Amino acid sequence: MSTALHATEGAARDTAAPRLEARGVTVRFGGLVANKEVDLAVGSQQIVGLVGPNGAGKSTLFAVLSGLLRPTAGQVFMDGEDVTGTSPQKRAARGLARTFQHPELFSSLTVREHLVLAYRMKNAKSRIWTDLVNFRGFASAPKAEDARVDELVDALQLGAIQHLPAAGLPLGSARLLEIARALAREPRVLLLDEPSSGLDVRETEEVAEVLKSVVRDHGVSVLMVEHDVELVLGMSDAVHVLDFGVKIAGGTPAEVRRDPAVRAAYLGEEIEKPDVQRAEAEIEQGELA
Amino acid sequence: MLSYVLAGLGLGSIYAIAAGSLVITYVASGIFNLAFAAMAYSVARFYYFLLVEEDWAIVPAAAVSLLVFAPALGMFLYAVLFRHLRLRSTLVKLMATVGLSVALPPLVNLWLEQPTDPTAPGLAPRPLATYDVFGSTINADQLTTYIGLVVVLVIGVGLLRFTNVGLKVRALVDSEALTSLSGTSPGKVSLGVWAASAMLAGLAGILIAPTAGLSVGSMTFLMSAAFAAVVAAKLRSLPLAVGVALLMGVATNVVQKYIDPSSEFGAAVVPSIPFAFMLLFLLFYAVRGQAGDLVAGGALDRAIATQGGDPTVVSAVAGGSNRRFLNPGVLAGVVIVGIVFMLPGQLDRFWSGLVAGGIALGIALLSYTLVTGEGGMVWLSQITFAGGGAVLAAELVRNWGWDPLVAVLVGAAFIVPVGVILGLLTIRLGNLYIALVTLTFGSLIQVLVFGRNPFYNFGSGQPMPRPAFADTNDDFAYLALGVFCVLAILIVNVRRSTAGLAMSAVRFSENGAKTLGISVVQTKVLVSGLATYTAAVGGGFIAMNAQSTLPDSFNPAVGLIWLAVLVTMGSRSIIAALIAGCLFVVMPQVFSTYVSSDYADVPVILFGLGALGLALHPEGVVAQTGNNIMKLFGRRKPPLGASVPPGSPGASGPSTGASDGPAPAPASRGEAATITAGGQA
Repeated sequence: MSTALHATEGAARDTAAPRLEARGVTVRFGGLVANKEVDLAVGSQQIVGLVGPNGAGKSTLFAVLSGLLRPTAGQVFMDGEDVTGTSPQKRAARGLARTFQHPELFSSLTVREHLVLAYRMKNAKSRIWTDLVNFRGFASAPKAEDARVDELVDALQLGAIQHLPAAGLPLGSARLLEIARALAREPRVLLLDEPSSGLDVRETEEVAEVLKSVVRDHGVSVLMVEHDVELVLGMSDAVHVLDFGVKIAGGTPAEVRRDPAVRAAYLGEEIEKPDVQRAEAEIEQGELA
Repeated sequence: MLSYVLAGLGLGSIYAIAAGSLVITYVASGIFNLAFAAMAYSVARFYYFLLVEEDWAIVPAAAVSLLVFAPALGMFLYAVLFRHLRLRSTLVKLMATVGLSVALPPLVNLWLEQPTDPTAPGLAPRPLATYDVFGSTINADQLTTYIGLVVVLVIGVGLLRFTNVGLKVRALVDSEALTSLSGTSPGKVSLGVWAASAMLAGLAGILIAPTAGLSVGSMTFLMSAAFAAVVAAKLRSLPLAVGVALLMGVATNVVQKYIDPSSEFGAAVVPSIPFAFMLLFLLFYAVRGQAGDLVAGGALDRAIATQGGDPTVVSAVAGGSNRRFLNPGVLAGVVIVGIVFMLPGQLDRFWSGLVAGGIALGIALLSYTLVTGEGGMVWLSQITFAGGGAVLAAELVRNWGWDPLVAVLVGAAFIVPVGVILGLLTIRLGNLYIALVTLTFGSLIQVLVFGRNPFYNFGSGQPMPRPAFADTNDDFAYLALGVFCVLAILIVNVRRSTAGLAMSAVRFSENGAKTLGISVVQTKVLVSGLATYTAAVGGGFIAMNAQSTLPDSFNPAVGLIWLAVLVTMGSRSIIAALIAGCLFVVMPQVFSTYVSSDYADVPVILFGLGALGLALHPEGVVAQTGNNIMKLFGRRKPPLGASVPPGSPGASGPSTGASDGPAPAPASRGEAATITAGGQA
């Protein structure tokens, strides 16, 4: 895949504060605690992984971070500013983009139209109103828009399906489209919810390369929920582990790899067996003690 | 006071039977039965046939009507319609029940003929006995109504709570798939639910006929009043629905102790009470963010759905993917406009007047193309906006001396804020609530505005002249067609614009749209405003064509037929609005003139049946025909994307659904390609 992606506006902007930060986020649904006092930070040009079993509260945390859900307690910060009460639209305007565990596509739009819309929401938002009076619906797309969309289509290898509607796309294509759409928004922080689900090994590797390139070359920060633990540990600068809504571990991939509780509870056979057995032994010893 | 309360309990009992039945069928089937009044009318009409026209005694007539005819009707409707709807989107479900409500009464009348006497007897013997209750008098009809409610509640609650049948029904509510896996036949249970629902509808219809009359209109009005109790119950709570229904009945009658119902004020207030209840509860739930559509079935049901995805999604695809300026759909549209353009010159004055009326209606129907076709929202008040446009334009002409055309085009802008406010109020509601609110709003305006003087004027309304330069039928038809074309171009521009992309985004995934930075509120308000303006302009043209506002033409019940005929032709196709308008106006006259006046309702039946067909072909006749033609060409040359491009990403992965429908859509690329071929004009 080509990684010739444009530099994002404001990507060079760097602040001491994390690009995105959750402080003490708690979400309750009645008696169910989906997230309990979760702290997490995504720094500039960082890839941060978020792992945990089903029902751990990862998607809930994503909903809170992207503004689709208000936390019961706690705060969300972008570049040090409290955005807890702001709408998803305002967070998008600040440079937050995301994908979803179940792709949220616009069924009647073609693949290309998804990217066009995302691009315009970033670069020509007023066209929602002005197109109605200046009849630009009948005009050709601006060259810059076409060029940017073409780049993303090439980068995510969507060329063969770019004129097909999103309805009926296979899951793998839908995932790639969501990633492309998020990148078309030229984000500063990218939240990816299980980006490799539905992709084969080769596609997963290619997506990983694209993500690394946007982080390396254009300063995008990435927070990623992923069940492919090796992918997360291989790509991330930091990893956080959730269990039953509680953050039970956080640190570099190496630190998380070494964490016996995490290994025993979540990584299982993903890591070499002797390590797991050692971890289990440690836990057993701890329990005995 | 007691006599008012007792009379109110009678009315409330009928509301309660209707509301209870709607709630039970909704939770058990996921379908809100907008055809409840039509089913009530059908059974009541059959009862009237046996009792009055065939001279049966009350008991056998009631037994056959309620225990044989009604369940058979319910089971038949389940077999041919409702069983196909369970996992469809709210939009499709509503449209299908709208189609049923349009088709069923004229079908029954075609079979049994219009009732000769609209004041039908109820279940009590005539002459009516009276009883003294704590110094107040109740009659036998009221007593049978109370008994009817008690019997329904005792049997209904008993069955649901304490029997194996009830357990199966409640299991089906949660998951049809899991119920099936446990050895229960979901089909049989649903069959029973719909049979029972038709029985309750019939009971409500028979009980209400003595006071409201045996007519579809009166039953629709009273049943839509019962919707208020259903909304209060958030569509789910049977006790709340029954309680609020009884309270509404009592309130409606007790108010009459203090306000003379025959006075101008009383005549407006009394019928508005149930609608006031509904608006209060809706606002309460909307503010608390508790109003949303129930999603039928469990996760397993959605995961194993095999219909190829929700048809509304597929339908939308047909229009969305073909944005080339000169696609086959556009060319077909130009041809059809050309044919309609030539018609007035070829026809005599009478028929060209009908064509002009059809084009005028086509303008109004474009509002549905916007709000339902583009916005994906079921608004049932477009006809009310049309009526508002007509009334306001007539006032501007009569009182301010405006030119009629200017009055229509500018006056329509004054109706826009009403649509925008309604849009803002309903933005947080689900599609089903939007339909109920807009239907209620339309009924309220019909009672409070169109039905009052000076607007009503004995049914003839206010005079509304045509522009001087388009005084003849031919010239007016050309003017209307010109305005239709201008609005059509504007709508195409909207569809192809950034706003159009944003509308599609909001329609199919609000969360996805929000995270792109799209304002859902702005987008929906934009659709609401544009659709309201278009409807109001259409109403003005309908009035100019008739040279009078004709307030009865803008009854919400008629609006359901408008919608039925439009969705039959295609809710997303612009040219379908023109065809639908012309057919709606011309076809009944064709049947009356060339077949028999007895068959004048046949086109309405066909429109209703067409809307029923939405469950299988949501794209409508126009797009479907276009697609079929394109398939013929497609056999020679495969359309773009007819097969998965080799090596394209994710080609071998599982399919994903769209968020608009409940089921992940396992549609193949071949399916997607097939339906993109026709495009939309």
